[in-house]
Amino acid sequence: MAIYKKLEGKPTRILEKIKESLDRLNEKIDAMIEIQKHGQRVNPEISDVLDVMTLLSLPDHLRKTAITLCKIGEATADEVAEQTKRARAVESGYLNQLVIMGYLKKERRGRKAYFYVEKET
Amino acid sequence: MGKIIALHSYKGGTGKTLLSVNLAAIYVKRGKNVCLLDLDFRAPSLHAVFKTNNSEYWLNDYLNGVCEIDKVLVDVTREHGRSGNFFVGLANPATEAIREMSAKDRKWEMRALGRLLSLKTSLLNDMHHDYVIFDTSPGLQYSSINAIVSADVVLVVTSIDKSDIQGTQRMTRELYDLFDKKTGIVMNKVLAEILSSKKEKQKFYKHFNSVHKLPILEAVPCFCDVLRAGGTYIFSEEKTEHPFTNTLDKLATKIEKF
Repeated sequence: MAIYKKLEGKPTRILEKIKESLDRLNEKIDAMIEIQKHGQRVNPEISDVLDVMTLLSLPDHLRKTAITLCKIGEATADEVAEQTKRARAVESGYLNQLVIMGYLKKERRGRKAYFYVEKET
Repeated sequence: MGKIIALHSYKGGTGKTLLSVNLAAIYVKRGKNVCLLDLDFRAPSLHAVFKTNNSEYWLNDYLNGVCEIDKVLVDVTREHGRSGNFFVGLANPATEAIREMSAKDRKWEMRALGRLLSLKTSLLNDMHHDYVIFDTSPGLQYSSINAIVSADVVLVVTSIDKSDIQGTQRMTRELYDLFDKKTGIVMNKVLAEILSSKKEKQKFYKHFNSVHKLPILEAVPCFCDVLRAGGTYIFSEEKTEHPFTNTLDKLATKIEKF
């Protein structure tokens, strides 16, 4: 009740919160699916290199996402989906798979998740 | 919005540099702003064509992240411009630089791909070039595949040599198809008698269209005059009425519409 009182009059904010939680849940499910596929957890700290030879070895659907991200530099799933003309949820799944495989990095800024290939130091 | 065109081949010596330079010159003559980049770091050659050996920065430096692309570009409009602006980016021909470029690791190649991809914004959007032409090194190696991925259109230059044809078939199937690239074939050094009549020419095009399963954009005959010039000057600039220039002129038009 207390939470309800606190958020009273702010239905949009509640919906946004729910959407945010669902997005996070989706990402976790994607990660779990990937772990099941590989039989082990891929350490996100160990990054692999997304060079052209790696791009060649990726399955078609992931290659499209990876090349698009290479072209944009840094992007949200929405921005990648806009380029590939695929659904946002589909791109979010592929991007998270590429993160789990160690080819991409992911950073949360506020409510948005940004994906990028390793930045130059 | 301009276009990035990469010229590539399976084997060396197919005429990528000759075609790149002359296509660039033809577009400049048509009033286009053109930027020609030497991405053959193992055997640089554009410095010899444009007689500039003392560039302050090379494309090697750009890919190394030492400088931005504007520092690399050499303005050759005064010597070679007709109506449009003409810029070239050179690869460092020093043996030490060639050795260094061939010893790069996968991480460097990944960053080089990022820098090549960003040329679309810097050269086409910001610097308003109409055409950027990549002269690449032959075969399947990092620098050429990076260039192919970064280009809008790829021209595969091939001869009628059997090993070249087979290698090109494999390369287009196993590489180009995967990257979903707009690709056209340019048959170079074709014997004049093969293209002697319209009927023979049609037969030739039909045959190689089915061999490569890609459009044959042009068949460039072998000309002794081109060999005689020995790369001492840009052929299409000097010999404006020569059949070689006319053939490349047709190719340039086809690429514009491709």
